[in-house]
Amino acid sequence: MLPIFADLDPHTIWNAPSGSIELVIKCMVALLLGAAFVGICFAIPSQLRRFIIFTATFVSGGFYILFYYFPAPIARQPLDQPRNVLEGFSFWLTDAQPIIATISNTIGSFLIGLGIYSLMRVHLRKLMKKQKDWGYSLVLFVSMLLMVTFGYWDYFDRFGKDGAAMAAGPAGGAWHFQQYANDILFDGFFQQMEAGMFSMVAFYILSAAYRAFRARSIEATILLATALVVMLSVMGAVVYQWDEGIKALAHNDPGSFLNNFKLDVIAAWLKDAVQTPSIRGIDFGVGIGLLAMGLRLWLNLDKTGGAV
Amino acid sequence: MGDQYRDTGWFGVLFTTFIVFSILYNIARARRGKSLFIRRIAGLNAIDEAVGRATEMGKPVVMVPGLSDTTVNAKSMQAINIFAYVARVAARFATPILVCCYNSGIYAVSQEIIRDVYQEEGLADRYDVDSVRFISDRQFAFAAGVSGLILRERAAAAFFMGEFYAESLILAESANTVGAIQVASSTEITQTPFFIAACDYVLIGDEFYAASAYLTRQPVLVGSLIGQDWGKLTIALTVLLGVIGGTYAIHTQTDTSWDDKNELVIGLPHRAKPADGLLQRLLIPKPEADVKVERPQYSPDEIPKPDKGGGS
Repeated sequence: MLPIFADLDPHTIWNAPSGSIELVIKCMVALLLGAAFVGICFAIPSQLRRFIIFTATFVSGGFYILFYYFPAPIARQPLDQPRNVLEGFSFWLTDAQPIIATISNTIGSFLIGLGIYSLMRVHLRKLMKKQKDWGYSLVLFVSMLLMVTFGYWDYFDRFGKDGAAMAAGPAGGAWHFQQYANDILFDGFFQQMEAGMFSMVAFYILSAAYRAFRARSIEATILLATALVVMLSVMGAVVYQWDEGIKALAHNDPGSFLNNFKLDVIAAWLKDAVQTPSIRGIDFGVGIGLLAMGLRLWLNLDKTGGAV
Repeated sequence: MGDQYRDTGWFGVLFTTFIVFSILYNIARARRGKSLFIRRIAGLNAIDEAVGRATEMGKPVVMVPGLSDTTVNAKSMQAINIFAYVARVAARFATPILVCCYNSGIYAVSQEIIRDVYQEEGLADRYDVDSVRFISDRQFAFAAGVSGLILRERAAAAFFMGEFYAESLILAESANTVGAIQVASSTEITQTPFFIAACDYVLIGDEFYAASAYLTRQPVLVGSLIGQDWGKLTIALTVLLGVIGGTYAIHTQTDTSWDDKNELVIGLPHRAKPADGLLQRLLIPKPEADVKVERPQYSPDEIPKPDKGGGS
């Protein structure tokens, strides 16, 4: 099959030794070709651009459909050769998948540049014109610069040019300014701020629950009642008192119908007979909806833009 | 039919193929002009109301197409399709919009589609390139950025549609703080309750995928929706069949064996394991057994080896 989709041999045109000038030149050429392709896509008429997008979507979608539908090779060993054409195709699909995924990731990585461009444009203008809240834009630029600088500085200390982690850690195990700075910025600031943001969910749950659990309608009342039962069912002292009451009413008869009204039994019934089937039903709907959406995108049946 | 045929997973493939064909068949049917019915969805009727309110207040409409770790997926595309409709309504009333993107791929696609919407409406001059923004691709940095935008801009309406996770409540509560009308939908079932608690209107489950058909009434979308319903109906019937089959299997399984005198011993009926049920075998294939296949071999020299230059 096509050598481009086989495991890359170190000596083909598609590869070059790590850290070599040849690799740098090949990367630059690939980058220029990519940029030229993007430029051409912008320059050509919209209809032709859509055709290119449709063709790329159809081919890549078709590959993954074949990958999932075509029987995978059974008990394949590293040195195995296919026994016939069908098995050869099956081997090719399996071998090509990681390469296709890499191509997809490479194209995706081009897009991060677009994202950074958007950020820069919005915030640079704010900063230059000293618009309202320009201070936040300044914070963004300073943090971006610091994270990029110290992130890469530390990275190049920790990893060799072959991308392999150095056995003894950065500079033989000793930490220097760049390691401390990166650690403070990433673990000390960034991670803590993310954790802080996440912890706000706890407070928001309280305020949202207060609004949702007000008995304004029949639906809200049902929600309130079920939530109350489920919450009470995990409170040991309440469950004990309630269940003792039920036992007394049932005269300690384990076969009594009243045992069905123990708090944990009601909560389990709510979860198993009401909640789980509802979630399954919604999941089925979402799954089929996703399938239909994917199908329409693959076959270019969707007319985007929300036109009525 | 022997067990070996049941256990290969062919039934799942057949089932998916049936759903695919029912969707395609109904799309063809709708294209031929067949009138198909869609029930009322309150959350979608609220879109015009929300944009109208934003217009009256002169405040922006904030739209968030969710988080997606991959570049662009079907969920985010569906969200952008809905937002394209919202942007179209907003463009007609010259209402400012803000589309906040978590992913640079979604940002690029959103920008293209929203710009097209303004051009199609003949209002290209009203399109502000900064109305579609990339915020961050870190979950809580994104949540902080969008919350900040909602609070600073005092958004009048907020639309949260697509994949949302733990940040859903942060976004919804921020919008609630400024009194924005909120229409939300998450494809993640665990986040739907949060949206129900915090938002004015919520699209649950596949209503999210029905939205573009409901709003635009394009034959392709309406036909696809009916095809989805056929699929759901088939699943419901399968569940019913599973209940009947499972109940029957549980009460009738009997083990037989031969004793020392080679006489047949029939045991008492007992409860079978769920894994022995017919549908369980059809839908959940057994893991591949440890089989070996004899194949011609490459010599080890023919296989590329990883070295400094690459290879895997």
